[in-house]
Amino acid sequence: MRLTGVDNLLWALGFIGHLVLLSVLVLRRRARSFPAFTGLISLSICRTVVLFFTLRLGTAESYFYTYWTLAIVDVGLQLAIAYELASKVFRPLGPWAPDVSRSFLWIAAASVAFAAGMTWLAAPPTRTLRMAIVIRGDFFASALMSEIFVAMVALSVTLGLPWRTHVARIAQGLGVYSLYGIFTAAAQSYFGSGGLTHGTYTLLSRLEGALYLGCIAFWSVTLARKEPEPRKMPEQLHDELRRLQGRAALMLKSLRAQGSES
Amino acid sequence: MREMVFLAATGVFVTALLGVATYFLLRARRISRDAWSSLLGRLKQIDREKFTRVALDLLDDDGLQREHLDPETIFEMIGGMNGLDALEENCDVLVDLAAYVQRWYPEALLLAEDLRLNAREIKWHIGRLRGASQTGHLREQFPMYAQRAVATYYLMTRSLLVLYEGVRLPEFAELQHAI
Repeated sequence: MRLTGVDNLLWALGFIGHLVLLSVLVLRRRARSFPAFTGLISLSICRTVVLFFTLRLGTAESYFYTYWTLAIVDVGLQLAIAYELASKVFRPLGPWAPDVSRSFLWIAAASVAFAAGMTWLAAPPTRTLRMAIVIRGDFFASALMSEIFVAMVALSVTLGLPWRTHVARIAQGLGVYSLYGIFTAAAQSYFGSGGLTHGTYTLLSRLEGALYLGCIAFWSVTLARKEPEPRKMPEQLHDELRRLQGRAALMLKSLRAQGSES
Repeated sequence: MREMVFLAATGVFVTALLGVATYFLLRARRISRDAWSSLLGRLKQIDREKFTRVALDLLDDDGLQREHLDPETIFEMIGGMNGLDALEENCDVLVDLAAYVQRWYPEALLLAEDLRLNAREIKWHIGRLRGASQTGHLREQFPMYAQRAVATYYLMTRSLLVLYEGVRLPEFAELQHAI
């Protein structure tokens, strides 16, 4: 693979951006709240270093396996981030509500099925199975992540659950990047093995790199800022609400009993 | 040919994702912008005084003399299925009113979640009453189901008022008049 000056510049800027973002996550103590996200950023730094040396010192074979192994870990961490963000939005005070966890599992299963269907439809004209796997894998990951983020937005708005500032910013960045990633992956799939040198793909790919740099800058700035502190409800109020809800639960129990009798 | 189908499907897929995301983000923005007035505007008109009497007749609150309403009176006071239809819609508004407080007090989620589960169960029972009305058994089953549903709804409104008063939201007075 031949890299141009623009590609090298994007690579170097991405590396520096990741270092800045990791510093923000550690110094502002966000890493504790977002371990999976911090993991992804750390992985991106390691990946840049490892792939840099593999490209220069290793063979095409070793580059492929290193790239692909790290890409699988990357997708795994992206899914972990989706879970991390979902758990903050859908169970901000502890356990998942029974119907929310069910809805979320349905969403995840449907997203995997749909992304798999779309990936099956892709038929990249490649000479080797390896290239086909890479191209289809890229497309699958982008489609899946986009679906999950859009579904999370839809579910949270439907349930009236607010997104705290940092959670929303991480999700916005990843959502936009994944959605755009579908275009690049689709172009790669359409053009196949020759796609890497095709003008359209090159343009889309560089725009993706620039967009990702924008996301890194966006995360670095927003995560460095403090989010508004939530207010606490008095304990007496909790007690009073628990008492009233206990009575409502009893009333519903008698309704259920009535229903089973009739 | 397959490549073209794939590209078209991808186009539809991305457009659908963007459409869904835009719809829900705009909806969230609209809810956030004119939340309070639109929330209250969604409440259906019910005779609150009569609903309260029907509820208190069952709840047996301390110091209150129960009226022992007969089934026919309960049916008339609630307004039959129309009254329960309004109650059903209002249940959703109560959940949203609790969620409204979450902007400042995330812990209000607990009440919103409880109210949502209550609302879901009330709706299920009202659905059963609809079934009974289609088979001509509404009058027999109505009082037992409806009075309990109204009593649960009443407790939901009390919880909401306690919440608004407890966190001293300025909207409390308006809410007191509305529910």
